[in-house]
Amino acid sequence: MNPTIAVQMFGADFLKLRKKLGTVIWALVLALGPVLLIFLFRELHNSATAGGTEGYEDSLTALALIIGPVAAILIGTDAGAIDSSAGVFRDLVVTGRDRLAIFAARVPAALALCWLIVVFSYLVSIAGTFAFAGSNPTPDSSLLFNGLIFSMFSTGVICVVAVGVASLTNSRPAALTVLIMWHLIASPILANISSLGSPRNLLLSQAIGHFSPLSSGGGGGGGHGDHGVVLTMSGGTAVAVVLGWIVLFLALGAWRTRTMDA
Amino acid sequence: MPAQDAAASSDLTASVPSADSLAIETHGLTKRFGERAAIDGVDLRVPRGCAFGFLGPNGAGKTTMIRTLLGLTHATSGTMSVLGYPVPAQRSKALERVGAIVEEPRFHMHLTGRENLRTVAAVRGPHTHAQIEPALKRVGLSERADEKVKGYSLGMRQRLGVARCLLSDPLLLILDEPTNGLDPGGIQEFREMIRAMVEQEGRTIFISSHLLDEVEKTCDAAAIVDRGKVITQGPIAELAEGGTTRHELIIGVDDADLALSTIGASQLVADAHRSDEGLRVVLTGDPKTAAEINAALVHAGVAVTRLEPVRHSLEQRFLEITSRLDGTTAAQTEVQA
Repeated sequence: MNPTIAVQMFGADFLKLRKKLGTVIWALVLALGPVLLIFLFRELHNSATAGGTEGYEDSLTALALIIGPVAAILIGTDAGAIDSSAGVFRDLVVTGRDRLAIFAARVPAALALCWLIVVFSYLVSIAGTFAFAGSNPTPDSSLLFNGLIFSMFSTGVICVVAVGVASLTNSRPAALTVLIMWHLIASPILANISSLGSPRNLLLSQAIGHFSPLSSGGGGGGGHGDHGVVLTMSGGTAVAVVLGWIVLFLALGAWRTRTMDA
Repeated sequence: MPAQDAAASSDLTASVPSADSLAIETHGLTKRFGERAAIDGVDLRVPRGCAFGFLGPNGAGKTTMIRTLLGLTHATSGTMSVLGYPVPAQRSKALERVGAIVEEPRFHMHLTGRENLRTVAAVRGPHTHAQIEPALKRVGLSERADEKVKGYSLGMRQRLGVARCLLSDPLLLILDEPTNGLDPGGIQEFREMIRAMVEQEGRTIFISSHLLDEVEKTCDAAAIVDRGKVITQGPIAELAEGGTTRHELIIGVDDADLALSTIGASQLVADAHRSDEGLRVVLTGDPKTAAEINAALVHAGVAVTRLEPVRHSLEQRFLEITSRLDGTTAAQTEVQA
C-alpha cells in the first residue's frame, strides 16, 4: 500500500477516535485522575513528603502499571471495534481496500491518542513531583526520561493488545470487560499464587514490569508488575513475553478482520 | 469476458476488461448458510448504462446477493465478475469504481457528514478527497455537511450514503432498498437522481427492492428473484408481458354471450373470457388486429362500448410468478404429506 494512503488512513482512524469525547474524557480521567489523587492524598497525609522522588514513584506506578493501562484498554478497544460497532466496516470493505490495511491503520491511531493522554498525564505528574517536593530529593533527569519512556511502553503494549482483542471479539464491551478484569483482577491474583512457579512469567504485566525504571538494579529483573508483586525473569524472557502477547493478539485480530462477514 | 475464464487466468493483472463488458455477471452463484441456500445457482447479467432492479420479496436473497458481489461474504460456489473483473480474484480492481449502500446506510454518529466522507475517502485513496465537495453538493447536503450525523434525518442519511458512493466516481452503484424509510417527496427526489445518473452520467445503477412500483418507475431492466433463485430477467416491458409479447384487450359489450361466440372462433383471438371490466381478450398477433375484432363484433350486431389495450404491470407479473411458486410449494407439501 502506498505511504500516502497509509498516512491518510491513520489520520482517518485518529479522527474517529479523538472525536469520541466519551472515550477521550474517560481515558484522561483514568490516566490523570490517580496522579492528581496521589499528590492530593500525600499532601493531606504529610505535606512534607508529598512530592519529590517518593511522590514521583507512586504516580509513575499508577500511570504506567495500574490505572494508566486501563485508559490504554479503553482507547485500544475503541479503536479495534469502532468501525464494526458503528456498522461502517462493510462500507470500508466495499472500497476494495485490503482488510489487513484497514486493520493495520487502527494500531497507530490508537497509540497516538493513548500516548497523547499518557504524556500529558506524565507531565502533570512531573509538575506535582517538583511542586510538592519541599525539601525532599527529586528524581534526576535520567529517571524522568526513563519514566516517560516506560509509561509510553507500558500503556502502548497494552493498547496494542487491546486493539487486537477488540478486533478479534468484534465487540468493544466484551473486549473491555475481559481486558479490565484480566488486568485488575486475574493477573494480580495469578501473580500472587507462588505455587504456579515460572509460568507466571508469561503474565504480560510481569514482563512489562521488568522494564520499570523503578526496579531495583535496573535490568536485574525486579518488577512492579502486579501491584507490588515482584517476579524475577531475564531481559530476554521479558522481551519474548511482551512480543508474544503483541504478535498473538495482533495476528488474531487481523485474522478475524480478514475473514469475518462484514 | 466469461467470469470462469477470468477466474481461471493465472496472470490476473494482465486481464483488463473491455468497456462493453457487463456491469455484473454471475454464473451458478450460490451462497449457503448451513443447509439453507440464500442464493441458489444464480445466473445474472446486468448490462452497463441502465438502472437494473433486483426485485424480490423480503428474504428472497437480495441482500445476500449484494453482499456476495461486494466481497462482504464469500460465495459457496459459482463465479462472478463486476465491471468485467473477476471477483474475488480481482476484487480491489473491481470495486475501485463501485459505490454501494448495503442495507441502511450507517455512519459514525459522532462525526459530521463531511468527516464521515473524509474517513472513507482516506481509504479509497488521495484522489478521492477532491470528490467530497462535489458529492455533497450533488446530494444537496453542502449546507448541513458540518453537522453531526446523529442529528440527520433518515432521508439525509440516505443522501449522505449516496454521497459516500459518489466518492469513487462510480461506474456502478449498488443500492440495497434505497427508498426504505423515505417519504413520498424523498422517493420522488431519489428516483429523479437515479434517472439523472443513468441518463446524463451514463452510470449503471443496481437497485434491490421489494417495491414493485419503485422498480417499474425507476429501472430499465430487472431480475425477479425468489427463494434465492432468479426466476426471470430482462427489460421491464418484456418482464411485465411475461417474457413474450402478449397483447390483451378489454372489450365492453352489450351482449357478452354473443360477443364471446363471435370472437371465440376467430384466428385472431387466443383466449377470451369474462372479467369484472368486460371481456378480456388475448390476441394471437399484432395489436392492430383489434380493429378487425371490433369490426367482427359490430358486424355480428354487438354494441361495443369500450375497446382498450391492457397495460401489463410488473406487479401483475411478479404476483403471477410468486403465486405460481407458492402454488408449487403448496402442491409439493401436499404430496409429501
